[in-house]
Amino acid sequence: MPLLQIKNLNVRFGDATATPVVDGLDLAVDKGEVLAIVGESGSGKSVTMMALMGLIDHPGIVTADSLIFDGKDMLKLSARQRRQIVGKDLSMVFQDPMTALNPSYTVGFQIKEVLKQHLGLSGRAAHQRALELLQKVEIPGAAQRLDAYPHQLSGGMSQRVAIAMAIAGEPKLLIADEPTTALDVTIQAQIMDLLLALQKEQDMALVLITHDLAVVAETAQRVCVMYAGQAVEVGQVPGLFDVPAHPYSEALLAAIPEHSMGAARLSTLPGIVPGRYDRPSGCLLSPRCPYVQDKCRQQRPTLDPKAHSLARCFFPLNQEVA
Amino acid sequence: MSEIVLTARDLTRHYDVSRGLFKPHATVRALNGVSFELEAGKTLAVVGESGCGKSTLARALTLIEEPSSGSLKIAGQEVTGATKAQRKQLRKDVQMVFQSPYASLNPRQKIGDQLGEPLLINTNLSAAERREKVQAMMKQVGLRPEHYQRYPHMFSGGQRQRIALARAMMLQPKVLVADEPTSALDVSIQAQVLNLFMDLQQEFNTGYVFISHNLAVVRHVADTVLVMYLGRPAEMGPKEEIYNRPLHPYTQALLSATPTIHPDPSKPKIKIVGELPNPLNPPSGCAFHKRCPYATERCSTEVPELRTVDNRQVACHYAEQFVA
Amino acid sequence: MSTPTPVVAVDQSLLYPSVYKEFWQHFAKNKGAVAGLAFMLLIVFCAIFAPWVAPHDPSEQYRDFLLTPPVWLEGGQWRFLLGTDELGRDLLSRLIQGSRLSLLIGLSSVVMSLIPGILMGLLAGFFPKILGPTIMRLMDIMLALPSLLLAVAIVAILGPGLINTVIAIAIVSLPSYVRLTRAAVMGELNRDYVTAARLAGATLPRLMFITVLPNCMAPLIVQATLSFSSAILDAAALGFLGLGVQPPTPEWGTMLASARDYIERAWWVVSLPGLTILLSVLAINLMGDGLRDALDPKLKNAA
Repeated sequence: MPLLQIKNLNVRFGDATATPVVDGLDLAVDKGEVLAIVGESGSGKSVTMMALMGLIDHPGIVTADSLIFDGKDMLKLSARQRRQIVGKDLSMVFQDPMTALNPSYTVGFQIKEVLKQHLGLSGRAAHQRALELLQKVEIPGAAQRLDAYPHQLSGGMSQRVAIAMAIAGEPKLLIADEPTTALDVTIQAQIMDLLLALQKEQDMALVLITHDLAVVAETAQRVCVMYAGQAVEVGQVPGLFDVPAHPYSEALLAAIPEHSMGAARLSTLPGIVPGRYDRPSGCLLSPRCPYVQDKCRQQRPTLDPKAHSLARCFFPLNQEVA
Repeated sequence: MSEIVLTARDLTRHYDVSRGLFKPHATVRALNGVSFELEAGKTLAVVGESGCGKSTLARALTLIEEPSSGSLKIAGQEVTGATKAQRKQLRKDVQMVFQSPYASLNPRQKIGDQLGEPLLINTNLSAAERREKVQAMMKQVGLRPEHYQRYPHMFSGGQRQRIALARAMMLQPKVLVADEPTSALDVSIQAQVLNLFMDLQQEFNTGYVFISHNLAVVRHVADTVLVMYLGRPAEMGPKEEIYNRPLHPYTQALLSATPTIHPDPSKPKIKIVGELPNPLNPPSGCAFHKRCPYATERCSTEVPELRTVDNRQVACHYAEQFVA
Repeated sequence: MSTPTPVVAVDQSLLYPSVYKEFWQHFAKNKGAVAGLAFMLLIVFCAIFAPWVAPHDPSEQYRDFLLTPPVWLEGGQWRFLLGTDELGRDLLSRLIQGSRLSLLIGLSSVVMSLIPGILMGLLAGFFPKILGPTIMRLMDIMLALPSLLLAVAIVAILGPGLINTVIAIAIVSLPSYVRLTRAAVMGELNRDYVTAARLAGATLPRLMFITVLPNCMAPLIVQATLSFSSAILDAAALGFLGLGVQPPTPEWGTMLASARDYIERAWWVVSLPGLTILLSVLAINLMGDGLRDALDPKLKNAA
């Protein structure tokens, strides 16, 4: 039984006829696994996790066949029940640490808030635990930092604090939404190492949302590639990077500067992601796909097992490769 | 040997920071002695993390701020002490593309007007001639003629960067400073925009100063690489030398920290601890010594000079030990 | 797989509605704002076509019909829909005629304070070292005095009357425009597109009026609509105090003043002008709210 099971998740903004931002997504995460969700802007990767956490407000409509976390049906929970899970067993780290922390309260206050809400700690016990948490995320001078305000911390430090708050409730699943995009390269490496170390130590599942394939290659065990709201390929790392089955995965890999090595131009797909007004009736990639055939323009492929991964394509690539 | 379009010698830029009523002013040495030459049609990449001085360098190169000391020559014309007329010409010779595609275009001006503005200010072309030039440039960057009338918020991030690039190239400047132009873009859009950058460079033979923290992108576009740390150059040289055999420990750490699609298990990651030091209170000696895995006593007392080792310049006392 | 990079077949930017249509779509979502707009259009219509819309001449006194009640009360007549005042003048005609004055006062005071206000705000924002603080201290002094008292003082010096009322109201609303403009300018000056304009060689006037000012207009437009309504209120207050427009000119506030004594006997002479003021101010405020909401999304999109 996977820790997280999502079946046929749809998120729309507006009414039932509005274009879906997340379209029929199936996803499963096992206990202690590191899954990466990769996609570009408009792929729906962040919205998926926000829907899971119940953070999609009106006019967003979330529907799914099932959305089961740790044996509980997230769709059927009351707001109160959801609050007991979100932040404790299921928690999230966001992209911009500078805005994720409340600028008007000290770091210590914010961590203790989480401890009080989810673990019922207060007073000395809370203070002690907050200190331990800061030490766990490797913040130097933790005792003084408890009294610091967010604007006094650098980007890397703020992100560590945000991680401390996220793991305070000892979550079973941690979602990290582009946690290092706003940080410098060396700090990025430190934060990713920290996340992986914590993940191993606490046997926590980690869902990493990112657009950076290189980060995925170095940290994740499985990867889900999203395009225009759909999951187009789900496979193992590094398998998917060596033998991508879906043309979009191949295109993403080809567009990375690393792959051009010496070539004057980078390989690109013409055009842009379909928006509200021009969603194709066939495969969503068909207007841009270099391998497109008539069937692709008329029918929508489903996500099926192929040679090395699950792929949403009628004519997947690299099938013969062992 | 093509023409040298940009020469910098010992560029420095200091800021005085007040620390309250009773304490004396502190000096932030944002830029502390940077020298380089840029040829027409080539790209110098400036690499470093936040606080290394690359934004300050960008502002000095684009004449937004005067350097505190040192010399800066654009297309042969010295910047300090230039007359008003000379400054006007300098304006036309250097332009900039910014990081955020959302902030670098005027939300209330039509695209066509924004592209035509540099021509309106700096040339005597008639309205019809300006429009013609604007349409030609729009075509070159992949925009359609109908886009002339549209406002920035109607375009995607990638399209806006194209517009920003078109605007910068309208006057066909000798030097283009690009400050993290693709950091805010998706991978595939980044590829499109980078291709456009390279095409335009070939077309107009412009020298690029490409500022970025993304070493993968830099490897693709640069001819020469300058690695900066806390306002000083750490290492500078031809791209292949820097990437294949980095001599400065900071360069090595940067390259090691950069994630890659095919991680090589035989190459261990260099773990670098700590964060950038406070520019108001820089460490003595080599600015990097507190985080450097190879630091010695000498590093904490003596500032290393930039010297030539193995076909590039490096500011490290022990650079030779990495040459092998 | 290297291909040239043209823009895709169906271009998102071309499917975008035009700027005005987009604005109207946002504005129309706010029902209150549309209602306010409708009411204001009615007032504007009355103001423009007053001589033809009004059933009677506002200054004509019907000696036989002093203090006639409105038509729905006992003793009312269809001839005088809203009744007559203490001198036998038709109330409806006076209210319609009064709309001209109120709109005139509102519009001219806003224009008279908006233009210098924007100029001073721009200067304060672009020259933050000395000129800026000087201007702001001046505005602080003006703001320290209660606006109505300041208006009264100005009118007392200049003498009562329509033009002096407008001047007084304009002076009193000046500081808010200066503050708003300066704040908006300071926010925009740091943005990349201003730097880009500087790099293109833009001169100071160009930077001020063409590059920066259009991006500061949104809060100013909203403030202008709200000032409009407070101008009407201030004019009414001044009129009530006898310092503004003088009788027999039918200005809504002056009508209130001269009808003070008749509150018990003939409540309509007081209440109806008061109600008209209330509805107009409400309509403008609703419109202003709707404007702010409609202008903001564009700002968010562009940001």
